[in-house]
Amino acid sequence: MSGIYVYSDEANLAGELLGFAAGMGRQATAVVFSQEEAEAVKGFGAEKVLIFSGDSPLAEQYAKALATYLDAEQAELFLVGMTPRGRELAARVAGYLGCGMASDALSLTPVEGGFKAEKMLYGGVAILAETLESPCVVTLSSGKAEVKSAPDSPIETLDVQADTRVRLVATEPLVKQGVDLNAAEKVVGVGLGLSKQEDMRIAEELAETLGAELACTRSVAEERNWLPVEQYLGISGAIIKPQLYLSMGISGQIQHIIGVRDAKIIVGIDTNENAPIFKAADYGIVGDLYEIVPLLTETIKNA
Amino acid sequence: MKRIVVCYKWVLDEAYIRLNADMTLDTNQVDHKISDYDRNAIEAGVQAAKALEGTTMGLTFGTAEAKQSLKAALSRGLDESCWVNAEEASQADGAATASALAGAISRIEDVSLVICAEGASDTFARQTAPRIGALLDLPVVTSVCAMELLGNTLLATRKLKDSTETLEVELPCVVAVLPEVNAAPIPGLKAVLAAGKKPVTELTPEDIEADLSPRAKVEQVRGYVMDRKNVVLKEGSAQEKVTELLAHLRKEGVL
Repeated sequence: MSGIYVYSDEANLAGELLGFAAGMGRQATAVVFSQEEAEAVKGFGAEKVLIFSGDSPLAEQYAKALATYLDAEQAELFLVGMTPRGRELAARVAGYLGCGMASDALSLTPVEGGFKAEKMLYGGVAILAETLESPCVVTLSSGKAEVKSAPDSPIETLDVQADTRVRLVATEPLVKQGVDLNAAEKVVGVGLGLSKQEDMRIAEELAETLGAELACTRSVAEERNWLPVEQYLGISGAIIKPQLYLSMGISGQIQHIIGVRDAKIIVGIDTNENAPIFKAADYGIVGDLYEIVPLLTETIKNA
Repeated sequence: MKRIVVCYKWVLDEAYIRLNADMTLDTNQVDHKISDYDRNAIEAGVQAAKALEGTTMGLTFGTAEAKQSLKAALSRGLDESCWVNAEEASQADGAATASALAGAISRIEDVSLVICAEGASDTFARQTAPRIGALLDLPVVTSVCAMELLGNTLLATRKLKDSTETLEVELPCVVAVLPEVNAAPIPGLKAVLAAGKKPVTELTPEDIEADLSPRAKVEQVRGYVMDRKNVVLKEGSAQEKVTELLAHLRKEGVL
């Protein structure tokens, strides 16, 4: 077994994956699906940049061709950036190879004959450590390694057969109904403890006073439709890293907490003293949010 | 008649998992549930069956415990259910799970559409749909936030980070849906009662062609605890609590 191959549809993340391989003392090959992608990653230190060229504009439709190639080359690891496109391609390649795959690994280290990966289980209640024999596939999210600049890598093109059964009809920029929570320094989160939609005003006023953005739990967005789905936090929603996350009327179910676990400071306001939010928070107030939150807004204003 | 197969997973309800002092997991008192996002997958199947004038089948791969899931899944509107009953399910990884499900699907006649949720609420590995697609060499569409069936064609809207894509594919195919694809209704009493009368097929590993050995070997599972300060203010007047909280936040430099 030899060779590490990396791919991400985000050039910068592809650079991080090449940096990650370098951190393991390895020079990886960058897989891309167009000349444009090749140009974007050629300066990140890949041994070479390999363009898989065929009749689909969609990277994931090259899964079978890529798996056939990786099998023939006896690749030991296919390392993929954790984006919607990347994780589909990664799992389809793993499916065609019939090999093990670690999704969204927290850590990845080489061991004899393969790799050891850690990942979250049960929405963050537990960490699972597992070993994967080579060949294997691993997806990593950004922030695991630095992008390193290097002299241009050689670019090679392979003509391959893409799966053309899935056709791209249209691409539309995602109209963000809500706000960019990822960029927010402070975020106020609203849960089902808020009983009426007009009471959102209480949260909005606090958010405005703090200079914070507004977010919510999945139920608030999906069941009550009080905020756009882009604004719910949690394992299947937005995952953010603000300086301050202040939640109100949120019990603190694990699925929600995973969306804010990397916040610097977490604050919880809830009537139920035994709510899990207080175990996940740095600071908490046990009390009625209808009393506490307006008072908090007022006190900050008067400070 | 066209058949829509919806794959779902019977998982531990993670909200009730406790941690022992040695950081192992205490799951003794923990109930199982249909994985949260699978409820939306089932509803997507029910709606697809209306559009295709077809029939729906729930499919799960699980240990003996998963038997309880059949009625719960059927009460959500599926017409029939299939369960691959195997002890291997307790150790299964993405490869073994997809192999079992694909093995069962290849035995089922007239499959036009296979629907999975994007991920399960225990592992959230998001491998099942793409792997099934690969094993059956069917086209795959994942991250689907809206779907429309026009005759034998699926038009799917796929949500990426900064854009959406409209993709077109002829059936049969495999799709993975996001929870926002629909609002899964809570089953009514009538549906729950009717579920007990719907047909159920039980398969064993001998009935299907599948490799149930996991490729990923579990070394350790340990509880994760966030290192937080846990300062809870519960005594005093509302104003005192608010003032104290703000003093803490100022000190932390986050105000």
